[in-house]
Amino acid sequence: MFSRRALEALTAAITGAFGIAVIVQSLDNGIGWSTAGVESGTFPFMTGLIVAAGSLYNLARGWLRGREIIVDRVAFRRTLALFLPAAVFVAAIPLVGMYVASAGYLLATLRMQSGLAWLRALAIAILVAIGLYVVFEWSFQVALPHGLLGAWLEH
Amino acid sequence: MENFDLLLHGFSIAISVDHVALMIGGVLLGILVGVLPGLGAPNGVSLLLPITFGMQPVSAIILLSSIYWGALFGGSVTSILFNIPGEPSSVATTFDGYPMARSGRPTQALATAFGSAAFGALVGVVLITCLASWIAGVALKFGPAEYFAVYFLAFSSFIGVGGAPPIKTVVSLTLGFAIAAIGMDTVSGQVRLTMGVDELVKGVNFVVAVMGLFGIGELLIAVEEEMHARAVSSRIDWREVFRTIASLPRYGWVLLRSAAVGCWMGITPGGPTAASFMSYGIAKRVSRRRDKFGTGEPEGIIAPETADHAAGTSALLPMLSLGIPGSATAAVMMGGLMIWGLNPGPALFIEQPDFVWGLIASMYLGNIVAVVLVLLTVPIFAALMRLPFFFIAPLIFIVCVVGAYSVSNSYLDVLLMMGFGVLGYLFKKLDYPLAPLVLAVVIGDKAEDAFRQSMLMSQGSLRIFVDNALVSTLVGLGFALLLVPPLARTFGRLRKRAA
Repeated sequence: MFSRRALEALTAAITGAFGIAVIVQSLDNGIGWSTAGVESGTFPFMTGLIVAAGSLYNLARGWLRGREIIVDRVAFRRTLALFLPAAVFVAAIPLVGMYVASAGYLLATLRMQSGLAWLRALAIAILVAIGLYVVFEWSFQVALPHGLLGAWLEH
Repeated sequence: MENFDLLLHGFSIAISVDHVALMIGGVLLGILVGVLPGLGAPNGVSLLLPITFGMQPVSAIILLSSIYWGALFGGSVTSILFNIPGEPSSVATTFDGYPMARSGRPTQALATAFGSAAFGALVGVVLITCLASWIAGVALKFGPAEYFAVYFLAFSSFIGVGGAPPIKTVVSLTLGFAIAAIGMDTVSGQVRLTMGVDELVKGVNFVVAVMGLFGIGELLIAVEEEMHARAVSSRIDWREVFRTIASLPRYGWVLLRSAAVGCWMGITPGGPTAASFMSYGIAKRVSRRRDKFGTGEPEGIIAPETADHAAGTSALLPMLSLGIPGSATAAVMMGGLMIWGLNPGPALFIEQPDFVWGLIASMYLGNIVAVVLVLLTVPIFAALMRLPFFFIAPLIFIVCVVGAYSVSNSYLDVLLMMGFGVLGYLFKKLDYPLAPLVLAVVIGDKAEDAFRQSMLMSQGSLRIFVDNALVSTLVGLGFALLLVPPLARTFGRLRKRAA
């Protein structure tokens, strides 16, 4: 599915793009020496340069190195099976809040991926949400996001 | 002798009902995060960081360091019983630990691992007891240039002897520096590298990076390989435990050598993972029983375990005395110190002796508590591993999301954590080391400040870094370490040609 070459190129592209962004942004802060000392863009500028140059090297080296497949179709599907529902969960937090989102996320994954019976999956999901509430909101007084749903309910 | 008195004073602080309770709780939690793949010591420590804000610093550090000890032990349990390393640093333990357990000697394998781990940790703590205050005393005379040189030395040793591909280490490290620079510049007050996102003025918290890189990244890696937890029996035979531990002194030389490797790798920030692999490699090369390695050879368990724990423990030495953490977990703890309002580094020994010596004393106790608890709880945690991974993974995921959010009640942090998660997955897949990135995020600002202050002192001349014997030696050593990988490669090529 994905060769080492492809992943090396992707990773080098990500780090390289970040490096270039750092270089461009740090130019705004000014680089070099001024009367007040080293300007605040200098250090990030240097790190950006090294990141970009290193990424270029890794890109070239990764491209030359083997085409062997390091993530096959089955492995990729398993990774997506974890990541996609998790991404939906994170996306849902601003809408329905942390408690409802995590309960829904657990219910869906436990029912569909672990094959738990509806009732058991629902029970675990609700228990975890209540557990989060007790630990955070109640004992540590850290308010987790309630989302638009929470705002609407309070209204 | 003075150190001994201070240590006794430390024990008087560490031994209290509250602190022993914190140790037990911390170790148990640590074993849990160590056993679960996808949660490791850096995550465990960052998750509990918000809880410690209301505590006394010494209680807080005892809790966090106990999690660390527990996680180091927990990682070995799953390596031996399931052939699944719970922690990256216990990968090398699977090579001989699992075969030994499978051949019907699980108790012997576990006891060998824990016994040598305890020895490694002990050597590390003794080293800290003897050397930490001396090093701190020397470091008190450091100016900004010397400090920057020490940082430089630490970073070069990552690149030179960290074991990962050198340029990938460089990218990981400098990426961390750039991330550390995001937000308000502490010197000029200017806003840097926010990429148009106003909320980034507050900077990127290291906890968010750790949760993503280590937590989510490792989950994605772990889920990829379908894990068949084919466990061997996890029943502990106590007579066998004592017999095995009593027979450990026979391997005295292996123990000492591995502890030395571990301490070295812990102090120069090579970290426990590199230490355990290096120690296993050396043992395999020099042992008379090298043919037996990989089939359940005790030396193959002793070498990585001793080095792993010696490195994990001694990683706190540079953190305490210089303010440079020797491993990712030590970096997170150091972040904690800064949040509690302490200034990690040599001044700590003068300003906060209770804190320093309470911590050092608690390291002796914490490791004893860890050995006992891990032996007592092996069957319980082994049962946990029999749950299907797709069952545990969403729970771990929720824990990471909540953890990242609660650092500063910010949804952006959750999104950043997801991004770091993908990056962590790619990095792990392609042998980029993660520890340098975390280290750089935590101490990036300090290194930059040291550099800028030195430049101010010298009016912009780089000469300040070769001005006196100390600073030029440190800088010279740093450059020498940078040359290790290319030299080793050339040397290897020459030898191959000669053969």
